[in-house]
Amino acid sequence: MSTWERVTDPVVDETVWCARTSRGLRVRVAPRPRFRETAAVITFGYGSTDLWFTDDRGELTTPAGTAHYLEHKLFEDEALDTFGRFAARGARVNAQTGFTRTSYHFTASTQFRDNLTDLLYLVGTPHITDANVAKERGIIAQEVRMYEDSPDYCTMFDLLGCLYGEHPVRYTVGGTVASIDAITAELLLRCWRAFYRTGNAALAVAGPVDPDDVLALAEACPLPAGAAPHRGVVADFGPVARTRSERAMSVARPKLLLGIKDATPAPTWEERSRRQLATRALQDRLFAASSEVRERLHVRGVVDDSLGAGYHGEKTFAFATIGCETRDPARVEAELRAAWQAPPPVDDEHLERIRRRHLGAFVRGCESMRALAFGQAGEALDDVPPFASQRLVAALTLADVQQRREQLRRDDAIAVAITRTAR
Amino acid sequence: MLRSITAARVATSAVDRAVLVLYVESVPTTFAGCVLDHIDDLPVLWRRDDRFKTFRLVLCWQRPLDERAAARALLPALLLHGTQRFPDRPALARAMERCYGAWAGPGVGRFAESQVFRLATEAVAGEFLPGRPDQLGEMMGLLAEFALRPRLEHGRFAADAFGREHEQALAQARAVIDDKAAWARQRAIALGCIGEPWAIPDHGGEAAIAALTPADPELVRHDFLVHGRRWCVAMGALPADLPQRLAAWLPALPRQQPLPLPAVAQPMPRAPGRTVEHAVMQQARIVLLFRFPVPIDAAGAAAMQVLASLWGGGPHSRLFREVREQRSLCYAIGAGGDVHKGVVLVTVGCDAPACPAVVAEVQRQLALLAAGEFAAQELQTAIATIVGPFLAVDDSLAGRMQFTAEQWLLGRDQEPGQRIDGYRAVSRAAVIAAAQSIWLDHEYLLLPEGA
Repeated sequence: MSTWERVTDPVVDETVWCARTSRGLRVRVAPRPRFRETAAVITFGYGSTDLWFTDDRGELTTPAGTAHYLEHKLFEDEALDTFGRFAARGARVNAQTGFTRTSYHFTASTQFRDNLTDLLYLVGTPHITDANVAKERGIIAQEVRMYEDSPDYCTMFDLLGCLYGEHPVRYTVGGTVASIDAITAELLLRCWRAFYRTGNAALAVAGPVDPDDVLALAEACPLPAGAAPHRGVVADFGPVARTRSERAMSVARPKLLLGIKDATPAPTWEERSRRQLATRALQDRLFAASSEVRERLHVRGVVDDSLGAGYHGEKTFAFATIGCETRDPARVEAELRAAWQAPPPVDDEHLERIRRRHLGAFVRGCESMRALAFGQAGEALDDVPPFASQRLVAALTLADVQQRREQLRRDDAIAVAITRTAR
Repeated sequence: MLRSITAARVATSAVDRAVLVLYVESVPTTFAGCVLDHIDDLPVLWRRDDRFKTFRLVLCWQRPLDERAAARALLPALLLHGTQRFPDRPALARAMERCYGAWAGPGVGRFAESQVFRLATEAVAGEFLPGRPDQLGEMMGLLAEFALRPRLEHGRFAADAFGREHEQALAQARAVIDDKAAWARQRAIALGCIGEPWAIPDHGGEAAIAALTPADPELVRHDFLVHGRRWCVAMGALPADLPQRLAAWLPALPRQQPLPLPAVAQPMPRAPGRTVEHAVMQQARIVLLFRFPVPIDAAGAAAMQVLASLWGGGPHSRLFREVREQRSLCYAIGAGGDVHKGVVLVTVGCDAPACPAVVAEVQRQLALLAAGEFAAQELQTAIATIVGPFLAVDDSLAGRMQFTAEQWLLGRDQEPGQRIDGYRAVSRAAVIAAAQSIWLDHEYLLLPEGA
């Protein structure tokens, strides 16, 4: 069994224990002995964008929605009676699939060992058959259609389709009714064997637990050892594929979403985190509640409080978004583009407020077992040291933000998606 | 004997009315596991918890849910337009960012058939931050600004602020239709509860918003402060002298003349209504509105909650296992509601052709439960799904404060452990009785056009 490394942050006075099992599973524990609730998350580096890979049988192309389908089938394991077993212990269990990750998690107030044993069993012991895959298809198809009724979801994927001509981030996480029709039990098992490995996973637990107990249970995890397969996805930091997309849906007001595509990759987690922080600083300067730019737009009736901004950065794709609802998308698009191209300078006072807000959010996050476990699992999978974001935000400079501003001001990196009101 | 804190007002020319605090300490009183103090007749329920580095504090005023709901719902957005010290929205937001991302501000929610105006704050306590700033003092200062010094012009909110927020409120009310599940729920309640306050949506209703005048929001703010039933809850990393610090400004609030709240409307059983509407969408949405007599005690409420869990309260429930897992009729299905109103809503998203089978199966499962056709293990699991999260209620300041406030509103002086004992004591017979007391009042279907 491996040994622990204990990492303590002197500013927030919190400690995280880090280790790897003998078969390579990353493990982090945030002990909170005076709390009652435990949260556990196991995250895999496998998401909706991992459509192509090479395993010991050769290259494989999988349909959109495969990672999500696999999550359903592992999670809803009839042999384990997943839901019944966790529920009988009063535990809440769930799973979720994103662009690059799939996570399985529970929160519980009692019987931590039984719950963690079951969580590790369900991800490490697939019970996938032709019959239960066929049964699940109808349920997932209904889930897909449910998302297709969501205007925000559709607008986002319309935008991603503009930003990315080839990269699979343009596909919805759940796929389409047509794409999931091609998914078989054999395919899901091959994907499980390729990606559900100790070297492509991270386990994090927060709560009143003994770290050695967690590590002992992690050592017994039935996942096969080894790393993720070679992934075929090609990074896309080129020009946008299309500059705009429009559709009509049953919405009260049109929805407008601007996307700004990153033009260069950020190969290390430090660089990705720094970019994220600097982008958010820039977006805050323009569009946060504390911004006089946002307030002026609000006073002039250009935008209302539906205005929001975000950033998503991964190894093979990265983009910022700005969006809102408006009766006049053309006017608002022009105003937002103009604001983005000529943001007011960021000064030391602004940066200090960002640092303080970040520190406050971090301390608050440490009081939620679920937030702690999710945060640590995600960082562990990328080998990000605990509390690294605190150090990065403390070191963020005006030059970092200025550099980011120049990187993202390119007009050829912008696309727009509009969902209009269906008549 | 209650602990009481009395503040004698001293009129001064200063912007803040200075107060001379006279602190009278007697035997501590507790309620729901919290210390109960009274400051100027305001009950303050508070609990220090040194496991936390943050604190939360909320002041509440409760009034009936009525035709003033739209004006009340607009109030928080207008108050966030500024105070005398922080004259606009960016100034307020920056003040909170400087306090390490703390939040202090207004909100309006509902409890059964009442509306609750809140002034709340949440922040990291100063002793855990560089330089040990007085975070509680800063946040209470902001709350006092909202309560005592909102930015008014000639006794009403500024016309420009009202105009913007009025338009925004209308847009938000109309945008409910963007989320078909939320729209179906709103329509089902509006149709099933015609004539009852519960039918009023959270935003107050589009027509009521449209009819608002610039004077209305300040009138309802004053009405809350003067006529509302009020209380305060605070928890977390709090100082021992919290009551004295509150007593430094709470007595400056308007003198209270609280008015009673009406009883919750409860119609008698009747033939169920049925409404079918259409929208441009792919999936159908079903909302079945069931009713039951509001439980008169904690045991009755616990039995109803256990029944809801057993019937449709999650992946362990009958509806999830039978409707989704066994028959693949839908992806999303669940039952939930308001035990204090006597309503439980079953909500489903499914393909339109499956609607009749889903509706029939939901009712069949309720009939089975009412006939006692459920296993002992199912009952134990349903209880466990409620008790499990409740065991950790003290781990969440928000969760513990909500529990405490609910106990206060209901006048039930129970600690979380007593509530848990109540759930564990729910018997098979009590669940059957709860199931037998439920009746379908309205069936609402939102179907894709052409279906």
